[in-house]
Amino acid sequence: MEGSSQPIIITRGLRKEYDMGAETVYALRGVDIEIQRNEFIAVMGPSGSGKSTLMNLIGCLDTPTAGEYVLNGTPVQDLDDDDLARIRNEEIGFVFQTFNLLARATALHNVELPLIYAGVKAAERRDRAAAALDRVGLGDRMDHRPNELSGGQKQRVAIARSLVNQPSILLADEPTGNLDSATSADIMRLFVELHRHGQTIIMVTHEHDIASFAGRIVTLVDGMVASYDAKLGPTPASVMTASAATTP
Amino acid sequence: MSIAEALRVALSQIWAHKLKSLFSLIGVVIGITFLIAVITVVEGMNRYVQEDFAGSLFGVNSFSIVQRPTVQTGNYSAEELRRLARNRDVDLDDVEAVRRAVPDARYIAWRNASRMDEVWYGERRRRNIRVIGGSEQYQAIQGWEIDRGRGLTPLDQQRALKVAVIGPAIAEKLFPNGAALGKRIRLQAHRFEVVGVFERKGGLFGNAWDAAVLVPYETFNQTLSTKRDRVREISVKANNQREMLAAMDAVEEALRIRRGLRPGEENDFHFQTSSGLLSAWETINNILLAAVPGLVSVSLVVGGIVIMNIMLVSVTQRTREIGVRKAMGARQRDIMLQFLAESSIVSLVGAALGIGLGLGLGKLVERLSPLPASIPPWALAMAIGLGLLVGLSSGIYPARRASRLNPIDALRYE
Repeated sequence: MEGSSQPIIITRGLRKEYDMGAETVYALRGVDIEIQRNEFIAVMGPSGSGKSTLMNLIGCLDTPTAGEYVLNGTPVQDLDDDDLARIRNEEIGFVFQTFNLLARATALHNVELPLIYAGVKAAERRDRAAAALDRVGLGDRMDHRPNELSGGQKQRVAIARSLVNQPSILLADEPTGNLDSATSADIMRLFVELHRHGQTIIMVTHEHDIASFAGRIVTLVDGMVASYDAKLGPTPASVMTASAATTP
Repeated sequence: MSIAEALRVALSQIWAHKLKSLFSLIGVVIGITFLIAVITVVEGMNRYVQEDFAGSLFGVNSFSIVQRPTVQTGNYSAEELRRLARNRDVDLDDVEAVRRAVPDARYIAWRNASRMDEVWYGERRRRNIRVIGGSEQYQAIQGWEIDRGRGLTPLDQQRALKVAVIGPAIAEKLFPNGAALGKRIRLQAHRFEVVGVFERKGGLFGNAWDAAVLVPYETFNQTLSTKRDRVREISVKANNQREMLAAMDAVEEALRIRRGLRPGEENDFHFQTSSGLLSAWETINNILLAAVPGLVSVSLVVGGIVIMNIMLVSVTQRTREIGVRKAMGARQRDIMLQFLAESSIVSLVGAALGIGLGLGLGKLVERLSPLPASIPPWALAMAIGLGLLVGLSSGIYPARRASRLNPIDALRYE
């Protein structure tokens, strides 16, 4: 933290409240975190702890009720819709539990999507999307539509899509939630690989063996940080190699 | 996102939901079809009236002198018609005055009041024919050509011979085997020898002339006429427009003198010209062309509402997709552009289909009637413009709704 490089994410007193008519739901009650470049972080916590809300704020999909959020040196809490859209486009790559691919578009077109909104020319877009698909091992599935792909392959397309704009951070919200354990391990190995090449990854999960791939675990309880620096120990080599069914 | 990109995305959406897209453009198709078909027919009528109709009634560079109009057009008020009815009858002295006033006219002709009648040959009968007693240049001024036999000659006129030139429709009915010349036909109690058959004029208004019998003016006067020496119409044909106008001035002066009208007194006769008829037609034409857009806009508004509804459903169905696009960096205007492109394409395709169908209907009218199908370029431009307008205006509300969706809510939408 006191190192030469600035943290890529800093939040100070981040609060998020939802007005539900008569009562107010306090989803986040003042969250202070710092995340360094090239960290691989897992955000854990029971349901209702606010971990998804935190992810949405970090991903600029939502704005905080109060508090500061500095992403890559830019304070984003006061930006308008279009600036947030630009930040989502340039700084953040999303991987969702439900993949969220466009059902009628090919894998290639799905991966091209962020480049379309970045204004990249068609030829370059194609090349970059193809390269991203190659990187996740789907170079031979470019023309397939989501319904022609397995769950693991869909998630790989989504990962290729999240990487294609070379984002500062990759945000994964329960990326293995809809996958069997063998495929989950495959996806996690891909994350570890990306992390090794310098990608900053923030991943929400409620599974300990998935979280164990991360370098650091932030645990939220009741909208506040309960533990900031936990580690589940080094990633077990056994999980890296064998696709062990360790889900409890 | 560029417009080209928005169009591409919109096209793939439309193609993916072909049936829904087809239903959503039906309203626009109907509106534009109607627009194009009506304009095609009205313009066709317009051309027909200008090129054929007016010319066939009066001939080009012609005018006629009548007591009151022989062709009823919409541009006479009831008041004027009452005034015209008080005009003095035209007679043979008027003819003489006109002949002296314009000795250089190309043709001068006059005719009796024609009457609807029936004609017999033996036991055969043709009803609803028109008998005209015309002077010797009458057929020339009408531009009637002879198919068989001969036309009326000065001798026929001088001697008031009982000869007749008949229209082809009458010849067919009375002489199915074709031998009409020299036969004696009966009109009321009088027998006439057929000396000629006119060429078929055809056409919407020519049909009436195809069932006409032309006899010498003087013969008509002595046999069929109820009012002797009455002249229904004196026609003058000049060599060109300038001479025609000069001739009208000369005739007006001559008739006023003959009828003893004082300066300031109104004419007690009436001029009829093809340009007068054309201006009457133009009035009708303009009313039609002004009314059509009003009628069409009703169906286009309905078409627009259909598109808007289907787009609204589509926005709801695609809420998650909108969320994904926003998460990937789509700005409000990118989403807006995508939906506007979609509604515009649907509407423009509707307009294009409407143009095709409308032109088809116009062609059908052309085949079934003598009206030529004529579509002016401005009508095509108008159809395309209206299509775009309907697309944009019906798309704007759904597009705004889509573009303002909160990305989180949209992504979570089930």
